[in-house]
Amino acid sequence: MESAVALPQWRANLATIAALMARAKNELLRVPGAAIPGVLAPTIFFLGLNGVFGALTQLKGFSTGTYESYIVPVSMLQGAGFTGAAAGVNLARDIEQGWVDRLLVSPAPRWVLLAGTVLAASARALIPATFVFVIALLLGAGWPGIDGLLVTYVMVAAMAAVAACWGSGLALRFKSQSAAPLMQSGMMALVLMTTAYAPLALLQPWMRSVAEVNPVTHVIDAARQGFLGGVSWAETWPGIVALIGLLVVLGVWALREMRRTAV
Amino acid sequence: MDRHSLPRSEAVGLEALRVNARVVRALGMRSIRQTFRRPQLMAPIVVFPTLLLAIQTGGAGGAVNLPGFPPVQSFLQFMLAGAMMQSLMLAGNSGGIALAVDIEMGFTDRLFSAPIPRYTIVLGRLAGTAALGLFGSLWFLAIGLIFGAHIESGFTGALIAIALVTATATAVGGIGAAIALRTGSASVVQGLFPLVLVVLFLSSAFFPNELMIQPAKAIAEYNPLSFVVEGIRGPIISGVDATELGEAVLAIAGIVVLGLLLSARALRHRLRVG
Amino acid sequence: MPAIVVEGLQRSFDEVLAVQGVDLNVEEGEIFGFLGPNGAGKTTTVRMLTTLLLPTGGRATVAGHDVIKQARAVRASIGVALQEAALDPLMTGRELIRLQATLQGLPGAEGKRRADDLLERVDLAAAADRRVGGYSGGMKRRLDLAAALVHGPKVLFLDEPTTGLDPVSRKTIWEEVRTLNDEGTTVFLTTQYLEEADQLADNVAIIDSGRIVAEGTPDSLKTEIGNPHIQLQLAAGSIAEAEKVCAEVGRLLPPVDGRMVLVEATNGAADIPKVVRALDDAGIAVESLELVRPTLDDVFVAKTGHHIKVPTTSSAVASA
Repeated sequence: MESAVALPQWRANLATIAALMARAKNELLRVPGAAIPGVLAPTIFFLGLNGVFGALTQLKGFSTGTYESYIVPVSMLQGAGFTGAAAGVNLARDIEQGWVDRLLVSPAPRWVLLAGTVLAASARALIPATFVFVIALLLGAGWPGIDGLLVTYVMVAAMAAVAACWGSGLALRFKSQSAAPLMQSGMMALVLMTTAYAPLALLQPWMRSVAEVNPVTHVIDAARQGFLGGVSWAETWPGIVALIGLLVVLGVWALREMRRTAV
Repeated sequence: MDRHSLPRSEAVGLEALRVNARVVRALGMRSIRQTFRRPQLMAPIVVFPTLLLAIQTGGAGGAVNLPGFPPVQSFLQFMLAGAMMQSLMLAGNSGGIALAVDIEMGFTDRLFSAPIPRYTIVLGRLAGTAALGLFGSLWFLAIGLIFGAHIESGFTGALIAIALVTATATAVGGIGAAIALRTGSASVVQGLFPLVLVVLFLSSAFFPNELMIQPAKAIAEYNPLSFVVEGIRGPIISGVDATELGEAVLAIAGIVVLGLLLSARALRHRLRVG
Repeated sequence: MPAIVVEGLQRSFDEVLAVQGVDLNVEEGEIFGFLGPNGAGKTTTVRMLTTLLLPTGGRATVAGHDVIKQARAVRASIGVALQEAALDPLMTGRELIRLQATLQGLPGAEGKRRADDLLERVDLAAAADRRVGGYSGGMKRRLDLAAALVHGPKVLFLDEPTTGLDPVSRKTIWEEVRTLNDEGTTVFLTTQYLEEADQLADNVAIIDSGRIVAEGTPDSLKTEIGNPHIQLQLAAGSIAEAEKVCAEVGRLLPPVDGRMVLVEATNGAADIPKVVRALDDAGIAVESLELVRPTLDDVFVAKTGHHIKVPTTSSAVASA
């Protein structure tokens, strides 16, 4: 067979990312029932959190009457964390089974390979987020307004990308699915050691200190705006900055790990 | 009664039991060794619930000020039982994953083609889960002590908690094993990991039942895991209560029976499907 | 220009030196056989040449590009058939080849055209839209091969391409490799099957415990070893006795299994009567006797003192 003439690099990169994202959806569409845990888990978690800790709103200092409104953005972001971590688990499985060798042996740049996984996770995270949002609405959470909803969705997609970088980095580091709990725990800690359960003032002192330095606190506060009141730029930009920062740090690390798989 | 005077079939029965016990012990040792040799597998089972314990006490600790909250020394003291429950549920899940991996790898084929009764395979696997459960209970008792939570019933209370946790871990392990045998897929069993948390939320593991919100409150009231949690929590936050203990034991027995039934069916399915 | 040049290539894992200073030269248009037992370092060497693993010492160039410093260029020039592990069971055959085309940077229409052609060529056109998970072992290998060819690589790496396949599938792969080579593709083939290296390779290198122990054309290597040997299967009686008797007639070679005795036959078939007479005189009964011409395994034995693996005897020539 004669040697092929290749596309200009940028077009080849885009095509590769698109193809890898297309492959990622096979996981949901071609494996019966595979999508269910990922879609349902955040919703069930929301129902659980609400049922268990709902009484906290009776404490002085809670800004809203309904715990639903307070935690639905947390559940949506948690779903994003699960989805991203799951992408990491899938990557680990692909590594264990040798599939990733096919990708690594091709001339596709490493960041392109990573981008395929990460963007697929971002897109996928919107599904469980929507599911839990609809359920929450039915249960009495307030309508966040289009602007509030948009901000929340952007935070969710970006958080999923952060989680996917984390999961992918671990997958490439340990080359094993046994790292899965670490992928999921890491994201859980990141999302919940914030104002997830209660406002800053009501947190235990040590948790308050952690939440104050945890960038995801800003993400949660930004995502929560519409559900608690109105959306303002002042509340939104810290969340965006936090996500960009996390993406850069974890993305660079994951890329390093991918480059180091040959070692 | 001298063994030689037993009718032949009974001597065989005793001998068979002895042989099977050896098999269970050997498989059990393997299962325990596997568990403790892979720290990255073990750590999440203790680290994750510890993390959640920290998160929930840090985030929701103000709950002790809610009217109607049972008298406790601290939210941590209340939550220890829940953390232990979570740890043992994860231990059961991880045992299921290990068995599923064995199936995927074909190791179970080696066991199935050996002249050993099927139940020894599951029992052997459960030994590893029980060991993990035991480890988890000790871990959280230690955490509690380090961070200032008393065990109100003292040493006896601690022993009761340990026993209940270990037994429940084994019981839950039976269900994990059943799922592994039925699906033969480690990723499916792995996928149940978030659901473990869910089931616990629908119990009194993390909050007093009276203060929960409907419908979770209603579900938690009848969730067998709630009875187990109360049985573990009782000795920690107050005293040993016979009724609580009895209910916990019954609940565990129920889970054991369920696990046995499911495992038996799953084993039959596995052997049919190959 | 040589297609592959390897100089002092080394790879260690923790303390273990899996590949210890390998030198190789593969000319363009050649089929090169890389032969050795399991664990010899074949796969490790191939992984280094295909940029999946970094060498810890030495250097290598593939298609004129350095595997460490110009890894991207190497990847664009090579095709790698990685065995069935690198297939996705959830994808169809066609989807997989088209994905490979995309990874290689081919435009969509071009990728589609090549996929169709290749699927036809490896006889998978009918199964192309079925999921790979349902393919047989032979089908997966053919798909793997087709995917490796989608961009028309200059150098093709085949890592144990016929391991585990039935003889018919094996023949099919061999024919395909020969055709590819006729079309100008350089083929680097690793295998543990002597017959495969013998049949296909223009040049062969034999690796054992991380070192090259022999190199050359299959014929030249066998001629170097030279002599055929007589393979005896004993009916009964002491092996040690038989060995003592045979040792007086000719040089003994290491046996492959317990009931066998191997004696070098410097005079070929003419040595058979000598051996038979000697054993007869000693009253030792022989179940079968065969004159075995040198194989690459003999080359291996001569260089390393042990066999690559247990060979199967081609046919029993004489039975007692």
